[in-house]
Amino acid sequence: MKLETLKLHLNSDDLHLFFPLFQKGVTVPAIVGCTLKSLLVDQFAIPVDYVTDRITTIFLDNRPVDDLDRTIIQEGSRVTLSAAMPGLVGATMRRGGFYAALRQGISYAADSEKTSDTSGTVRLKLFNLLLAELAPTVLARGLILERDEFNELLRNLPPQTKHSQQDTGMILLTATF
Amino acid sequence: MDKIARIDMGAAGGPKVTVAGLGDYAGLGGRAMTSLVVAAEVHPLAHPLGAENKLVISPGMLSGTVGSMTGRLSVGCKSPLTGTIKESNAGGQAAQVLARLGYAAVILEGKPAGDDLYKIVISKDGIKVIVDNSLKLMDNYPVVEKLRKEYGDKVAYMTIGSAGERKMLAASIACTDPELRPTRHCGRGGVGAVMGAKRVKAIIIDDAGVTMRPAKNPEAYRDANRKFVEGLRKHPVTGEGLPAYGTNVLTNVLNEAGGYPTNNFKTGQFEGGSKISGEAQAELEIKRGGSATHGCHRGCVIQCSGIYNDKDGKYLTKQPEYETVWSHGGHCGISNLDAIAQMDYMDDNFGVDTIEMGVTIGVAMDAGLAEFGDEAGAIRLLEEVGKGTPLGCVLGSGAGITGKVFGVERVPVVKNQALPAYDPRAVQGIGVTYATTTQGADHTAGYAIATNILKVGGDVDPLKTEGQIELSRNLQIATAAIDSTGMCLFIAFAILDQPETFQALLDMLGSFHGITMTGDDVVALGKKVLSAERDFNTRAGFTKHDDRLPRFFYTEPVAPHNVTFMMKDEELDEVFNW
Repeated sequence: MKLETLKLHLNSDDLHLFFPLFQKGVTVPAIVGCTLKSLLVDQFAIPVDYVTDRITTIFLDNRPVDDLDRTIIQEGSRVTLSAAMPGLVGATMRRGGFYAALRQGISYAADSEKTSDTSGTVRLKLFNLLLAELAPTVLARGLILERDEFNELLRNLPPQTKHSQQDTGMILLTATF
Repeated sequence: MDKIARIDMGAAGGPKVTVAGLGDYAGLGGRAMTSLVVAAEVHPLAHPLGAENKLVISPGMLSGTVGSMTGRLSVGCKSPLTGTIKESNAGGQAAQVLARLGYAAVILEGKPAGDDLYKIVISKDGIKVIVDNSLKLMDNYPVVEKLRKEYGDKVAYMTIGSAGERKMLAASIACTDPELRPTRHCGRGGVGAVMGAKRVKAIIIDDAGVTMRPAKNPEAYRDANRKFVEGLRKHPVTGEGLPAYGTNVLTNVLNEAGGYPTNNFKTGQFEGGSKISGEAQAELEIKRGGSATHGCHRGCVIQCSGIYNDKDGKYLTKQPEYETVWSHGGHCGISNLDAIAQMDYMDDNFGVDTIEMGVTIGVAMDAGLAEFGDEAGAIRLLEEVGKGTPLGCVLGSGAGITGKVFGVERVPVVKNQALPAYDPRAVQGIGVTYATTTQGADHTAGYAIATNILKVGGDVDPLKTEGQIELSRNLQIATAAIDSTGMCLFIAFAILDQPETFQALLDMLGSFHGITMTGDDVVALGKKVLSAERDFNTRAGFTKHDDRLPRFFYTEPVAPHNVTFMMKDEELDEVFNW
């Protein structure tokens, strides 16, 4: 896979320009075969307390997750992170919440055991309060963007970040603020 | 709140006002008041638009006080949309002002014989019912503007638009917000048509010269309210998520869960979801000089609403709610926030329920009246409602009628009321509430996520199927109680997670009324309300066979999870066995 590397340093006011991208989902490099908790804490370096208290709603491949230690990340897994949500259904989607029974038909069935770790990618989405709080961490670690995703992002970034690009191939983009 | 006003619109010689004490209704407010009055006084087989029906308007038990979040107003009647008992509530200023004037309820009775249109002025000096035919067929925004010139800006207005006057079954009653915009609606069930049938166009409520309702124990009440507000402010949902993004923050999450009904419930995910998310909406509102944080009534600390400006920075509408963004958005395949906001404004102006109207347009799209995703077509259909054309009158009568007229098979209604924005195949438990609630499909009928604190019906094992029945029952009981207090249902999040905040709520109720309130008292109130409502519906001819979802939810799997609604009829029939 042809992968061009690009590093940006941006003003913190520009962080929100990445939010539409994070809502649609971004590809990030990861060691897969690990637990979801390990992905968040060990690889993304998100503090355990933050994972426990703040990331109260998590989806894996569209299924609400209850047990982070018994959820295994596979190549191409789609991981979505959200803070606590309003409404009955917001409460229903909460990880291990009192109302989890109400969505029992779509809940993620816990995996029995971990598989061997390998290099790969996961698709990550960030929603609501977590956009501003986690996007810098994820961006510092790097995103793999398709060329059209990158070009769309470039259109919104400040002029000084414009970059001469090839027409094909993917970009490993890291950004600091 | 020590009196009830009854206004007989059909009295010989013109409308007659009678004010009396509370009698059998002492201690009630909000939904408890509206439902117990309707259950006791309205013939269950009465025509909803006839003289026998009553429109009961009641502030909550704590409305009109210095307490925070106490500004919900309940309106009840026999619903012309569902044929069931109906309670529809809204924010805005009306509840606070009416409560400070001392009215626990204002009840519109009878029906005038002629064609005159009336406005009702309620102040400390009494109640006047005045003919004003200059208001005929005006919509909500212009009618409030006209009334403001006469009655000023220090009052609250309740009005109906042209849809209410035309007695459309989706018609709402608008309550003005602190900026005197008619943006807060008692939307569900056609309560606006009942007001229209009684020929009442506007109610002007003026609390000049009166003060806040005093608590029996003022110091304890202030202390409890302070703790209650602290609890709301420190909770991530009521203190951060809702103020930042409003209820539309749910779009991304429901879409990710595969529970976001799209193109009239054909699939559970909408490709354009992130374009109409709460996150996108809040950013756009701020960029255009509007606001993503705004209270619908004074005393609100959650501030889940906002101001949506157009591309030129001019006010277009209040921040559309999640259900509105869904009904006019994903449900119709539309991913343009400006088009959705335009329809939200039109709904508010004509005076129709945004859920019923958006779902109806989706059904009309299935009938071929427009293509899914055709925002101009959707707006055109809504314009028909505003004009009152024959097509508009069909659409304004809701999704069920529209489906029948145009021969559509997939019509998402229960008891003829449109389903809200959560697919019951993906979230089966909410389907239990949709099916069994006394109100017709209504997400807010089982919304008060405080059942674990209240211990309604005991603890539930969330891993068992029957847990869904128990949870729905308990949620409906808790919600009926909270709907009676005048409290916004969004307080439930802080109550759910913070026992001290729930205690503060009990202390507010107790110190205000000079009694000791317990969780058991709250549960008893909820059961009393639900029992009265169920009894009314039974006498109106409703049976267990009405407590069902439309068949397509049982036969058509929904993507991405490819699930159908699995709850058995016998399980649904257990919801109200307590």
